[in-house]
Amino acid sequence: MLGVSNKKQSDTTDVPVVFNMANFLVSSVHDMKNSVSMLICGLDKVLTSAEAAQLSTHAELVQMNHEAKRINNRLIQLLTLYKLGQKMYPFDPQSVCLDDFLRTIVAQYAQLLKFHEIHLEVHVHPDLYWYFDEDLISGVIGNALNNAMRHAHHRITISALECEGQLTLRVEDDGGGYPVELLQGNDNVMQSVDFHGGSTGLGLYFSAMAARMHRNRDLRGELHLENGGSLQGACFVLRLP
Amino acid sequence: MNINPLAIATSDVELNFSGKNVLIIDDYMEMRSIFREILSSCGAEVKKIHMATNGNEAIAWLKKVPFDIVLCDLILGSGKNGQQVLEEAKHQSLVGPSCLWIMITAEKTMEAVTGTAEYQPDAYLLKPVTEASLRARLVKIWAKKEAFAEIHKAMKQQDYARAMSLCDQRLSSDKANAADLLRTKCDLLLLTGEYDRAKQVLKGILAERDFPWAKAALAKLLLKKNDLDAARNLLEEVVESNPAYLEAQDLLAHTLQAMGDLAGAGNVLERAAKLSPNSVIRQKNLGQVSMKLGKMEDAERAFRKSVALGEYSVLRTADAYLGLAKACSANKNPAQALKVLGQLNKKFAADEVRVKALAVEGLVHQQSGNGEKAKQIADELSQAIGSGSMHPDSDGALEAARLLMVTGDKEKAIELLQKEIKNNPESAALLRDVAEIFDQAGMGEEGSRLIETSRQEAMLIMNRGVLLISKGQYEEALSAMRDAYAAMPANIRVLLNLAHVIITYMQKNGATPELIDEARHSLRTANELSPGEPRFIRLTDTLNELTALR
Repeated sequence: MLGVSNKKQSDTTDVPVVFNMANFLVSSVHDMKNSVSMLICGLDKVLTSAEAAQLSTHAELVQMNHEAKRINNRLIQLLTLYKLGQKMYPFDPQSVCLDDFLRTIVAQYAQLLKFHEIHLEVHVHPDLYWYFDEDLISGVIGNALNNAMRHAHHRITISALECEGQLTLRVEDDGGGYPVELLQGNDNVMQSVDFHGGSTGLGLYFSAMAARMHRNRDLRGELHLENGGSLQGACFVLRLP
Repeated sequence: MNINPLAIATSDVELNFSGKNVLIIDDYMEMRSIFREILSSCGAEVKKIHMATNGNEAIAWLKKVPFDIVLCDLILGSGKNGQQVLEEAKHQSLVGPSCLWIMITAEKTMEAVTGTAEYQPDAYLLKPVTEASLRARLVKIWAKKEAFAEIHKAMKQQDYARAMSLCDQRLSSDKANAADLLRTKCDLLLLTGEYDRAKQVLKGILAERDFPWAKAALAKLLLKKNDLDAARNLLEEVVESNPAYLEAQDLLAHTLQAMGDLAGAGNVLERAAKLSPNSVIRQKNLGQVSMKLGKMEDAERAFRKSVALGEYSVLRTADAYLGLAKACSANKNPAQALKVLGQLNKKFAADEVRVKALAVEGLVHQQSGNGEKAKQIADELSQAIGSGSMHPDSDGALEAARLLMVTGDKEKAIELLQKEIKNNPESAALLRDVAEIFDQAGMGEEGSRLIETSRQEAMLIMNRGVLLISKGQYEEALSAMRDAYAAMPANIRVLLNLAHVIITYMQKNGATPELIDEARHSLRTANELSPGEPRFIRLTDTLNELTALR
């Protein structure tokens, strides 16, 4: 694996090499990302093979694959935040078909949802298109879905709707809802550290930053956490102008 | 709202791989075999999947097999990188418009956002590549290729009217590609010079959303109309809100340069080069601006980078080598400068490059105190140009004039400069360069006078033919334009006006093969000097109609 990491670093050596923690962190994240990529490819290969379902360890493999993807997403989010901070993130909003977009995200969680016996519904008009950075927002919705999966009892709903010239994306579950402290911190999600118990806050911080990157005319994207909604649990609401 | 409960399963859209050739380019064996397995489970025939471990192998395969799909890692160890392979493949037409090229990257890159279509892959795919992500991407790109196939075909045949109507047809029904269709439509309108319609369409788009590309397109339009201030304001807005949109940064630098704000242009290019340091062209531009600002060390660094990046790239330019030689010479390293010129002569054989290389060589000798050798080269050069055995382009003529000035042959230098002004009397940038050469030779005032007289003279001659033809004096118009062409053979407006006058003459008096050839020659020359001018496109259309009638 070392060979891969060296190779990839040569791509970004325009930054002068200084003995500095940030550099080590960034280069290590790159390195880990390469390893995790290989891991995911390997697991994917095993899981898509015909005999996979018969394996006694199938459930464990599915879980491992999911954890590997989670690590990968986290690493991507760390790198993205670093780049945003350095004003070097290649922000690239495009016209996106919401139906395709949500299908692609949900497909990654299909097996896991089946194991946890969670029923997921997606509500979206097939002709709904919106303009956003697909990578950033898929990270945001992935976070929300992960979170919902951990707390839902049986059901999760994802919906996309155009409302008053903005896109509203909602991820709702039938779990116990967000803790009150978190809801109170709504105006200041950027400083919230204890995301839904036991999490690092990275996901929420990332999501808030990603939302804010999206601007149209005088409006900015925003994030909102609520309890209630159609499933009477936690509601993660993202609005994009 | 339409409720669409989603079956939780990977969507199995059928991909038709039958008979399709696939190329995988990656320097890592593990990755190559992973990609091969993914592709084969997507339906590709294993015996039609080929693999290359580096750029040269890839190019060799691309020359042998017409590929339908190329999967290429952006980073390929030493030698060419993935982008350079793509550039070479497109440049040499090794891949056609129907070939689907996917670039694999470890993370999202700046280059993915720049959006200059010519050398862009169809998609960037982030690692890890899974069967689902590749499948989804292939489906999307194939659909898009299909949507644009007819439009691109019409564009390639330069049938812009048809391309435009195909765009409009599709726009009415195809929502998935609406954004790209609109963009193509605007490009077409700009290309054919329908500025007012383009402006109208762009304003309509911008009323709904601040698309950076639409603002950049509007800025391009303003640049064509020479409204530099408005273009700058608009581009500054784009750059402020979308720093990653590098095309706008480059356009802003170009605008500032045209306005004479070199320091501003330098800042913009520096910022863009920091975000995306691997562009051969941008580093060259940065070198040129730095040099004009007198920052010779910065210039040397940028030119050196452009030369190094260009080593494996079809986009390498002779100008980067020339700039590097000049910067080395200014930084008191004449030996290095001459070495660079030696490399240049090996890599570029064109006549225009020879002229510039010789002129710069002379300047290097002059700067290093070898006036005799400089004079010898200057004489050689001026004789070759005078006798017509060497044909300098505009930059080459200026370079030669610079050398002649410093070696004391002012008369010849002035002659060359006057000719260049007459060829480009409307280019503010050229007039500034000429003025600078006069300044450096200590003849600023005389220079300004010479520039003004040559410019006015040229403008007068340029338009005489068109004026005459509008009065119905066909014979006189033709002979006036021919005289103008003889005096200013590389003046784009003269060339286009000559074609215009010949065509109008033929419409009145009938076509002859000689006149058709003359018009074609004139149009071709204009297009070589400045490709794709809207007037060139319109005149070519009219000429084609005329010859079809015969």
